[in-house]
Amino acid sequence: MIGNITLGQYVPGNSILHRLDPRTKIIWTGLLMVATFMINTWQEYVMMGALTIVLLIVSGIPIKQTLKGLKPLLFILAITALLNIFLTSGTPVLIIGPVKMTHEGIISAIKLFFRLVMLVITASLMTLTTTPMTMTDGIEKLLKPLERIGVPAHEIAMMMSIALRFIPTLMEETERIMKAQASRGADFDTGSIFSRIKSFIPVLVPLFVSAFKRADELAEAMESRCYHGGKGRTRLKSIHFTYLDGMVTIVGLLYLVLLLGIRFIK
Amino acid sequence: MSEMIKTEDVYYEYMAQNDDEIGVQAVNGISMSIEQGSFVVVLGRNGSGKSTLARLMNGLLIPRKGTVVVDGISTNNHELIWEIRKTLGLVFQNPDNQIVATTVEEDVAFGPENLGIPPDEIRVMVDKSLKMVDMEAYGNYSPHMLSGGQKQRIAIAGILAMNPKCIVLDEATSMLDPVGRKEVMSVLRSLNRDKGITIVLITHRMDEAVEADQILVMESGRIILRGTPRQIFEKVESVRRAGLDVPQITALAFKLDQIGIKTDYLPVTMEEMIKLMKRFLGDSHITTKTKKAPLDKLKSDEAVLQDNDTTVNPIIKVRDLYHTYMPGSTFERKALKDINLTIYAGDRFGIIGQTGSGKSTLVQHFNGILKPGSGTLEVDGLKAEGKELKALRRKVGLIFQYPEHQLFEETVYKDITFGLNKLKLSQDEIKERVFHTIDLLGIAPELLEKSPFELSGGQKRRVAIAGVLVMEPKVLILDEPTAGLDPQGSSEVFKILSNLNKKEGTTIVIISHNMEEIAAFCNRVAVMSEGGIVMCDTTENIFRREDELQKYNLDIPQITKLFRELTIPGLKIPTILTIDEAVDFITEVLNVPAGGGSK
Repeated sequence: MIGNITLGQYVPGNSILHRLDPRTKIIWTGLLMVATFMINTWQEYVMMGALTIVLLIVSGIPIKQTLKGLKPLLFILAITALLNIFLTSGTPVLIIGPVKMTHEGIISAIKLFFRLVMLVITASLMTLTTTPMTMTDGIEKLLKPLERIGVPAHEIAMMMSIALRFIPTLMEETERIMKAQASRGADFDTGSIFSRIKSFIPVLVPLFVSAFKRADELAEAMESRCYHGGKGRTRLKSIHFTYLDGMVTIVGLLYLVLLLGIRFIK
Repeated sequence: MSEMIKTEDVYYEYMAQNDDEIGVQAVNGISMSIEQGSFVVVLGRNGSGKSTLARLMNGLLIPRKGTVVVDGISTNNHELIWEIRKTLGLVFQNPDNQIVATTVEEDVAFGPENLGIPPDEIRVMVDKSLKMVDMEAYGNYSPHMLSGGQKQRIAIAGILAMNPKCIVLDEATSMLDPVGRKEVMSVLRSLNRDKGITIVLITHRMDEAVEADQILVMESGRIILRGTPRQIFEKVESVRRAGLDVPQITALAFKLDQIGIKTDYLPVTMEEMIKLMKRFLGDSHITTKTKKAPLDKLKSDEAVLQDNDTTVNPIIKVRDLYHTYMPGSTFERKALKDINLTIYAGDRFGIIGQTGSGKSTLVQHFNGILKPGSGTLEVDGLKAEGKELKALRRKVGLIFQYPEHQLFEETVYKDITFGLNKLKLSQDEIKERVFHTIDLLGIAPELLEKSPFELSGGQKRRVAIAGVLVMEPKVLILDEPTAGLDPQGSSEVFKILSNLNKKEGTTIVIISHNMEEIAAFCNRVAVMSEGGIVMCDTTENIFRREDELQKYNLDIPQITKLFRELTIPGLKIPTILTIDEAVDFITEVLNVPAGGGSK
């Protein structure tokens, strides 16, 4: 129900990860994702896995909470693993009718599984240790250089934070409208798929009407509080790179070079 | 004293949506001035132009003709618009739609951030402002976790953070419950008194107007009355013509004056009224009369009849009902505990209690929208499960708060028939039912082919109610049916409900924060607190127990309070629930023919 979307919800804390500048976290999440797809040998897998575990521990977030983020992805993980096991060509291990399980398939499925798990953990560690507000600040600052070529960095960030602000409000509203229409005889649970989709029109129309009205009123409220775009705007909590960001970046880069460099040394 | 706001012959109209329509004249030649440091209340019914006036005051709208000058700067002066908005902050009606940020302190910081103030100074302003509205403990909260009153206080803090000289509130209390309203009012009072901030409060609630230095009454875009609360309330008839009403005690004195119990002035405060009543009743040589106390007896008879008469059938029976939200999760919350309740056919049943006490959760069980965690529920012999659920929903119509927000069809007719179409009735029968319903609700037939989105607020609400009534429910449940309506709109809704109850015999269950409405309309009342029913009795017996109600943060109607506080030697004073009852009682005691006393 409302308000308990656990995937990537911010958990307050004061770990190194919490104190990093959001830009550092965004860039490093990107770098680690790319690295996760570059690794190939067992050695590299172990090193990458070790890094993920270290990050997990350093974040100070209960492991359970982080792993919860994996739950909704279990289905996708299972499907991709199965597809890999059966569709990769190579030495057959087991043959069931027309499909065959291959040795290569099993190995690539295991690798893929760990890749995806690491990917999800890294990404959720970022959102778990960063408030939505600082995250949008970080995105705004990162996009700033692109303003010259016409990317509306401030507007994108403002829209993101407003969206975040209104998600719970609109969810509550959806529930309220659904209940009201059900009281008037709407039926959301039975009938063919077509009629079920149709039964959402009485929910969607009022929801859109109200969303537009909210947008109108919010614009008025923002204007009366002197909002006039990103120009000359300051922030209560402005983000800064610190000594910590530098240290983390240096250590991280060294580790990555080591991790990916080993195969060239041989 | 200098002038904070000065308007000179201001006109504003909204543009027509189609070429063949004329624009709506919203403000129609307003000249007025508001002094610095004063507390001004602007009264007017929905659509009288008060919100437009608010928007003209901070330059969100620019007058078509005339000037608005705020602290010496004209809103026509485009370059200084931010200066004006910094000086004069605007708080809006809907608490949800004016909070921008995902945490409280970042929202309060929004204004200063826009002004380009350095972060460390913003921090100081934010902390100071949150303290002024008594919300310093909530800095890191997410807005959707706050109550309506708290959200409005955050909105006020957001303005305070810009160091304003004046705050204008556009019906900012109309969506709040009594507790939230009190919180906001007390914050406003202290800002006005201690910090000298000019307050302009736009409202249609009379109890908020009593404390003002000055009241402006608006009608059709004009100011029709201005003066101190006393000066305004003395003009009872003009105020009523403007679709508003005066406080109950003033209304009582006015009515007494009309039927010949003359008074030289109309009281505005409780103390004045008590003094006046003592003069009326204390001097009268009537001690022998009181033996009868006929009114009191009559009422208790009705109460006995309700409970013992076997011809009165229970229509809703709830036994040992429990309900838990999100059981098993970290968000688990016991919403209803051990509910036992019987509502009889033909009842006008009121449910009162603070926000969050479980009122809405309870009534959503009555039509099976929510399922009981444990316990049983029966409506007219039907259970809210399995095959009986559909039949039960047809018997119980549930009208949510602000039902007009659920309209969605292209035409009013289609919207009203949304539920009916699923009943497999003939087109003729559907048509007949629709016309019967709109007649009952006073909806003009020519509106049927219009889009529901074109209608006025009051019309929309009636259409939404029609959509439920057309199903001809035996029980009609309404959650805050008059929220956001002005006094005239509210009394129209109650006239409809009363008609429905008398003519069609519909059982009516109503949730309201407005005790005057409950006292005047209901025959029985249940009080809820923390998910349980703590009191359930006849309306009279409930409002007699003021001290207990206070424990649950509930008030009693002003008129009831008056007669409770009144002590006259040798006179037994009954529980009075409405102005008519009060008039009957006084005329009885004084032995004056009631004349126009009763309806």
